Amino acid sequence: MSGDFGVEVRNLSKAYRVYGSPLKRIVEGVSFGRYTGHHPFWALRDVSFDLKHGSAMGLCGANGAGKSTLLKILAGTTSPSSGRFRINGRVASLLELGAGFHDDFTGRANIFLNGIMMGFSRHEVERKIDEIIDFAELGDYIDEPVRTYSSGMGLRLGFSVAVAVDPDVLIIDEVFAVGDMYFQKKCVDKIFDFKNRNKTILFCSHSLYDIRQLCDEALWLNRGDMAAVGDSVSVTNEYTTFQRGHIEEGTGDRATVAFPTDDEDSGKGKDLPRIVDARIYRVGTDDEVYDIQSGDSIELRIWWHNPKPEETRIHLGLGFLRQDTTTIAGMGTHFDEVPIEGERGCLVCRMPDLQLLAGQFLVPVILLDEGGVHKYQEFLIPENLVVRAHTREVGMLRIPHEWQLRPELAHSPPSKEGASSGEPAGSGTDGGVAQT
Amino acid sequence: MSVPAELPRSERLSPSEVAALEAEGWVTARPPKWSEVGSRIVGFPLRVWKHRDLVMHSAKRELEGRFTGTLLGWLWPLVYPVFMFTVYYFIFTKLLAMKFPSLPESQKAAMGVYMFVGVMVWASFAESIVRGCNCIVENGNLIKKLAFPSETLPLTVVLVNVVTMLFGVVVFLGACFFTPLWIAPGPMLLWIPVLLLVQIFFTYGFTLLVATLQVFLRDTMQVVTIWVTVWMFMTPVFWAPEIVQNDWFANNMHLFRLNPAYHLVYVWREVLMSGEPAVVFSYDFTSALITLVAWAFATFALGYGLFVLCQRRFADEV
Repeated sequence: MSGDFGVEVRNLSKAYRVYGSPLKRIVEGVSFGRYTGHHPFWALRDVSFDLKHGSAMGLCGANGAGKSTLLKILAGTTSPSSGRFRINGRVASLLELGAGFHDDFTGRANIFLNGIMMGFSRHEVERKIDEIIDFAELGDYIDEPVRTYSSGMGLRLGFSVAVAVDPDVLIIDEVFAVGDMYFQKKCVDKIFDFKNRNKTILFCSHSLYDIRQLCDEALWLNRGDMAAVGDSVSVTNEYTTFQRGHIEEGTGDRATVAFPTDDEDSGKGKDLPRIVDARIYRVGTDDEVYDIQSGDSIELRIWWHNPKPEETRIHLGLGFLRQDTTTIAGMGTHFDEVPIEGERGCLVCRMPDLQLLAGQFLVPVILLDEGGVHKYQEFLIPENLVVRAHTREVGMLRIPHEWQLRPELAHSPPSKEGASSGEPAGSGTDGGVAQT
Repeated sequence: MSVPAELPRSERLSPSEVAALEAEGWVTARPPKWSEVGSRIVGFPLRVWKHRDLVMHSAKRELEGRFTGTLLGWLWPLVYPVFMFTVYYFIFTKLLAMKFPSLPESQKAAMGVYMFVGVMVWASFAESIVRGCNCIVENGNLIKKLAFPSETLPLTVVLVNVVTMLFGVVVFLGACFFTPLWIAPGPMLLWIPVLLLVQIFFTYGFTLLVATLQVFLRDTMQVVTIWVTVWMFMTPVFWAPEIVQNDWFANNMHLFRLNPAYHLVYVWREVLMSGEPAVVFSYDFTSALITLVAWAFATFALGYGLFVLCQRRFADEV
């Protein structure tokens, strides 16, 4: 098929028809276009993007921004009102948990039905059914009626069928949230596996953390319009900034920003790595301290336990969050490539001269998988870190700086033409402040 | 409305440009053309064949769903017609002792058998329309969340009701072959596959029509429920044109024959009751069948055509 793109979208728009009353609908229906009884509600306006094979795009935006509408159009369940799109290859979509599941039938019978609805033939499903059952890991529940399943188990079944289709383009609407840690990790691995095999993924999530880690690109929709599209980190940052403004106004949806907190644990938990404890100490001493001065040196000690270090490789990270969950800084062993080995241990993170400004800060410690993508656990240090500062500087973080007066530059700012023609006086690098 | 209702700044494409893009695999917002609707109607059998697993599986699932977990299980669809047959036999043959004028004394069961066959066929048809009316709306969640051929939903309803009727046919044939109530029909039985096919198309056409209307106008269901009752009495289900006493009705029977269900009920009776040569119907089998076939294909083309035209909007309306 054509080109490098898995998904191409041009000027895609979708209007839902809103009728004041059923009567208007009838009149419109029998007038053959001469009378319009509805007003359009534009759920999606002029969305255009290209998505390369082997890349993943995350959709973010408030509720009702058009994310699901876009996914539905691309999945083919509804048609666009104008514009066009092209999908190169086979599509599978998981728009809702257990869409098409029949409550009274067993998990096995539902795999069958769902597979056939997704376009498999009976024989194809028969061939794949063992693989699907293995992936879902529902044990004996596979032969129980689906109505006895928890929502997480429904997700397992639905996701297993959708990935068994082995599509070229996978479309997922925010359905991960209900899975337990263990299965979420499995899904994440599967998605990476898809990407490695040059398949394209489109998914929508309120977890910006997931979008940043899983996706190369992101699209932010705001009331049906494309607010931003591009690499996932910058788009999610823009979205966070915008959203913060809204939270302060008290309007936007309070989506989880950056670090969603869920500590739900599953039955599989005993084999999963975990954080035993984490505390903050004055550097080099055994004095626990949660009330510091700006510029103090502290260290964070994290005790961890990893029952199967050979199978499960882990990384640890920590962050400083303002109370409205804005991340001020985040660091991790996966960024610095520090291996965490052994079954248990204590990791110390030294932070000399911590230049946080006055305020209270949350300090979450995060246990991640080998790629730094999937969070096994988030451990919030029970006491907030209170920082006091003598300075009256504003903000959350003190940036080291120095002031200088340069009388020789007093008369005119360096002009751009001058800089390009090589005039030495006033060139940016030379004329700046010497770093301390 | 929070979003202003202005037109998006979409590119304006001429029909030829749209066609060129579609040839390259683009999906556009163009509504289906009449020619496409036509080819969908003609290509329907192929489409069903392509999705045969889905159709068969859904129909099986639906039937199983009715009986799984019950004590008698698959005996239930047989119990119902046995019960109905007994009731009709006792009421119309024994209690009311109604007779066809031309029938010899030995064939007393005629009226009970006549009613049973009529009700069996009518129930299958009416049940499909009434249940099928809501099948798109009911499965709205499925239509919104899963891309699959939604015409299989009403088809499932129709097939399930046809299969249910077949259990009745089996009971009837059992009564003919193993009891002295009625003489077993002969080679006319070979018409059954044809009748089934025609009945499926006819019922499916009506079901598609009302199911589509129901999506856009929820009053359809109410109207259909009332209409089906009226329709039943306009069709010779509980009455026989052969023994109508009223002169006006007897003289205007051709008006009743404008009703397609008249022919549907009639052809089944002529096939299933053909074992008794003394039962003379006032209407000829061949012309009834031809009329029914014409009706069936017209209904199907209309219903399926409308369905195809509206299909793309279902997900937005349910």
